[in-house]
Amino acid sequence: METINVLLELFPYAILGSIAAGIICSFLGVFVVSQRVVFLGAALTQAAIAGVAFAFLHLINLEELIASVFGITVIEDSFLHHFEHTFFSLLFAVIAVLIFSQSYRQKFLTKDSLLGIIFVIAIAMRIIFIQKSPSAEVAEIESILKGDILFIGSAEFYTLLVILIIILLIFSLFSKQLKFVTFDADTAAAHGVNDRFWLLLFYLTVGIGISLTTRFVGDVFTFAFLILPASIAILISKKISQVFITAIFIGAIIPPLGIYFAFEFDISSGPTAVAAAFALFIIVYIYKKLLSD
Amino acid sequence: MDNKVNSTLIELKDISIGYGNKVLHKNINIIIEQNDFIGLVGPNGSGKTTFLKTLLGNIKPLFGSINKKEITFGYVPQRDTVQPLLPYSVYDVVMMGRYSLMGLLKLPSKIDEHIVDSSLEKVGISVLRNHSYNSLSGGQRQRTLIARALAVEPLVLILDEPTNGMDTPSHYSLLNLISELHNKNNLTVLLVSHLLSDVANLVKKLMLFEAGRFRSGTIEDMLSEKNLGQTYSANIEVKKINGEYHIASRHKE
Repeated sequence: METINVLLELFPYAILGSIAAGIICSFLGVFVVSQRVVFLGAALTQAAIAGVAFAFLHLINLEELIASVFGITVIEDSFLHHFEHTFFSLLFAVIAVLIFSQSYRQKFLTKDSLLGIIFVIAIAMRIIFIQKSPSAEVAEIESILKGDILFIGSAEFYTLLVILIIILLIFSLFSKQLKFVTFDADTAAAHGVNDRFWLLLFYLTVGIGISLTTRFVGDVFTFAFLILPASIAILISKKISQVFITAIFIGAIIPPLGIYFAFEFDISSGPTAVAAAFALFIIVYIYKKLLSD
Repeated sequence: MDNKVNSTLIELKDISIGYGNKVLHKNINIIIEQNDFIGLVGPNGSGKTTFLKTLLGNIKPLFGSINKKEITFGYVPQRDTVQPLLPYSVYDVVMMGRYSLMGLLKLPSKIDEHIVDSSLEKVGISVLRNHSYNSLSGGQRQRTLIARALAVEPLVLILDEPTNGMDTPSHYSLLNLISELHNKNNLTVLLVSHLLSDVANLVKKLMLFEAGRFRSGTIEDMLSEKNLGQTYSANIEVKKINGEYHIASRHKE
């Protein structure tokens, strides 16, 4: 109880942010897992990380760019400094999504191969970018890439909250179109639904959600929470609404638990949350297996 | 003459179909009329699906034009291409047929629900309304996909290899259902199959696809041993016994 009080006092935004990140990943994860494009999660997290690493090269000065495009003077501040990482993480993820979304235009590569290429190129770029970054900033880069949940502050939490609201809004308003194209894109197109547009919107939303959570909580947490809550929910649910409710519930509950155990045993919070989610997955899987036997 | 003009639903004029620079068929000229029942037959990879996608507007013809009125198509894809991990109910799946007809942000109305229920009834699976699509047999899944196509209230129903991988009773039961939908509802039906025996005694017209060659006509004109032999590159025997076509491949002695 004492640990909980300390955590609530010292890391309120870390707890709230981890819940928001968990919900974003688990909600998007239902679509990613059911679309059988789990590797998209891996590729996008690496693209987002390559974007963060690129920001540290300082090749493009965002302040100057904004000033020249909009004709305004931007005073150098810490918000813009952090925004730069987020911007390039988003940009790289969006570019990866746009490349992936073109897979239907060609027949030479499978979706898997394309994702594999994006994945390895992103990792290679990340390594090169870090090598070429100013050595003084390498520690900061590594800490961002690792993404410790406990470093989530109010700005990160509110950003995650806004992204969560936008994602839920998009999927609520356009649930019909997104449901149809992710279920059976060919028939949706035959029935007059613009499948390419809606699939692009779907992948862009997934890309934005993944890149921002990767930026704030790291690639391991993001990828794990894309897969594990959705997989557990699909294992135990009999109705489509149950899948979403279960996945979101797991995505919201496990991260704060991870923070609690991490604090209690003095270990990293992200990997602890992943281990907790995996433990739950194993329990559910064995239970399901025993029931079916 | 006027009747014939009014009954024309789709007219394909000198169209060429294919992908990119690859032309699969050229100079296709065909008229699809109301209440037609057409079989699209040919070996795998002969261009049947490309033809369908062109007809549906999913891909553009490489050359030529397709004149069609405001036609609503009901499309039934190959069953194996729809294998959801999510536990959608039969009702959910059939309701998707209504999505393209609703407003962008509108929810299903009572009328939509009524049409979905009526579509389920037409294919004889009303009792499966709340079952999970994943828990259904192959035949039941195919009926669900047909009900979804009917929920569009289509003028033209297009079925892509609907009996693939089915056991014999389900196979014939499904062909009977398709025939019944055509006869009772005056539905124009395009049925794709690589099994000639499936369509020979069912359809009124036939489109034969073979590599680089496309032919179409009435079933009587098209079902000659010469035509089929060329299409399938085999020695094929066609017999009509008690009004039914029997088609078999002759084995060399």
